[in-house]
Amino acid sequence: MTELLQATINGVAIGGFYGSVALGFSLVWGVLGVINLAHGELVMVGAYLTWIMHRNHGWDPFAAVVVVVPVMFVVGYVLQRMLINRVIDKPHLTALLVTFALSIIISNVVKLRYAGTPRSVRAAWSGSWRHGDVTIPVTRFWVLVFTVVLMLALWAFLRYSRLGAAIRAASQNREAARIVGIDIGRVFALTFGIGAALAGIAGMLASPLLPVFPTMGPPLTLRSFAIVAIAGLGRIHGALLGGIVLGLVEQYVATYVPEYGTTLGIIASFALLVTILVLRPRGLFGGLRPAH
Amino acid sequence: MRWRPATRRRNRVPAVLAVLVVALAVLPLLRDSTGFVSDSRLFTMTQMFMAITVASSWNLTGGFTGYVDFGHAAWFGIGAYGTGVIMSKLSWPFVPALLAGAAVAAVAAALIGSATLRLRGPYFSIAMLGTFVTMREVARVWRPLTGGGSGLTMPPILDRPLFYYVTFAYLVVVVAFAFWLRRTRFGASLVAIREDEIGAEMRGVNTTVAKSAVFTVAGFITGIVGGLWGYQNSYLSPGIAFVEARTVDAVMMTILGGLGTVAGPVIGGAVLFWLRDVVWANFLDYHLLVQGVLLIIVVLYVPEGIVGKLRRRSGAVAITRVWRRADARRRAEPHGAQPS
Repeated sequence: MTELLQATINGVAIGGFYGSVALGFSLVWGVLGVINLAHGELVMVGAYLTWIMHRNHGWDPFAAVVVVVPVMFVVGYVLQRMLINRVIDKPHLTALLVTFALSIIISNVVKLRYAGTPRSVRAAWSGSWRHGDVTIPVTRFWVLVFTVVLMLALWAFLRYSRLGAAIRAASQNREAARIVGIDIGRVFALTFGIGAALAGIAGMLASPLLPVFPTMGPPLTLRSFAIVAIAGLGRIHGALLGGIVLGLVEQYVATYVPEYGTTLGIIASFALLVTILVLRPRGLFGGLRPAH
Repeated sequence: MRWRPATRRRNRVPAVLAVLVVALAVLPLLRDSTGFVSDSRLFTMTQMFMAITVASSWNLTGGFTGYVDFGHAAWFGIGAYGTGVIMSKLSWPFVPALLAGAAVAAVAAALIGSATLRLRGPYFSIAMLGTFVTMREVARVWRPLTGGGSGLTMPPILDRPLFYYVTFAYLVVVVAFAFWLRRTRFGASLVAIREDEIGAEMRGVNTTVAKSAVFTVAGFITGIVGGLWGYQNSYLSPGIAFVEARTVDAVMMTILGGLGTVAGPVIGGAVLFWLRDVVWANFLDYHLLVQGVLLIIVVLYVPEGIVGKLRRRSGAVAITRVWRRADARRRAEPHGAQPS
């Protein structure tokens, strides 16, 4: 019973992090219609930025948000203007290949600059709270809290701000949005910038949890895809719920299958993705666009 | 009526091919007499033959059928491990072990394909990427069979010309097979699936069977290459048997040469290896980086590939046109998703 409770706590806590990873991916896919295979690499860059601030200036990982957000926003804005903009109106495959190539480029640039060695960031406040027989991982708990705050902020931004309304309009009907005078190109670039900034924040949140290395991206991209398949496209609260489902699956497998558990947990999450896609091509709750 | 010359221009392709095959076949014989053909060059050529074979195999599903497989290197790894495990644990001789290992890859492709081939477009691609990552983890976890992260050792064999000939012969067989397949009724039905799957179904093509069949065959072809590579390397570990770069290579070569053509992977592969060997041989660290940049350039500016540029009616399909119909249908539907 304690074991079950412990696994549930761990699963929910890591699920918060997965939710933060899926946020930007889901936003970009929902608004631009681009499946960004380089999303995990943007997360990785955010994690490296945090690590650099931590190593060189002794910053707390969460304090790095003041660097990560503006840098990643600019990176995303420029990427969209230079590259992604050229593939938006082409079939999905073009965007998929271009972002796939982009992911290779980013991870290799980072590898050349910082080598492949896994890096770690230690927060001063990390540790664990013991309560009876269960342990509450402090780092993961704060990451979960941060994610919830982030989601509320994003929701409020999309719901109440002018730009948020423009983004929603562009995602619902591109042509109609153009007709009422929304500069679609600018909205898309801003959206991709926001998506990249969200990825950067997810990377910042990842840095105290996971080893930071150049090829940490693809599993995160795949998890984002799985979460979107579970939760539906562009649903903000869904990203958190999907992330928690994924975190729970991984933690339960890791807890109840001795020795091989942790790796099997990762396998289980990909198996979950493929199963959902095969059984329910529109996603678990029908939020995905069908591909004919 | 259009004017036609009295004598039609002779098709020079078979003659050029024959010269090329003979030249490549005698190349290892020059090893001792000239400095040009060194062991390391033979090794590079062997790698190229294997990469082109994998690309040709990928082209069967990705190019002919329009199912873009982002996890094709999984069959390579499974073939390598299948062969390696059977050789080292059951001590079978190499050739039966190779065939059995490739059969394992084919069975895996048939099973996984029966699920993933129901998906269309990007969903299929992503599911295959997930499959690939999963397979690598399986190899890492299944320690009693695969030796886990520490790997699997096979009896070493150091005979460069032998591998050169074997991989070259296999490449010729696979390309000939692709040439033949494209001209069969079955090959035509694959192209019909790419152009319009629902339309093909209505015209009586059993698309499920056709897709599964070609996917399984591609798994077998690539599985053989994996087995050959593993035997040549005489050592296997999850990290070197399951490499994303092999999928990237296959996709890259095929698109660069001409997607959906028989010659495409061969020409694209030769160009890519020439570039690697000559242009950026001194910048090995930048190898994947340059390749990523090249892939973007090709996709955006030469989407129909070299063959498509050279011959107008080559049958090469621009990468930007694959899934066009599916995407047109998608766009025609009202956009349901919205950020809440």
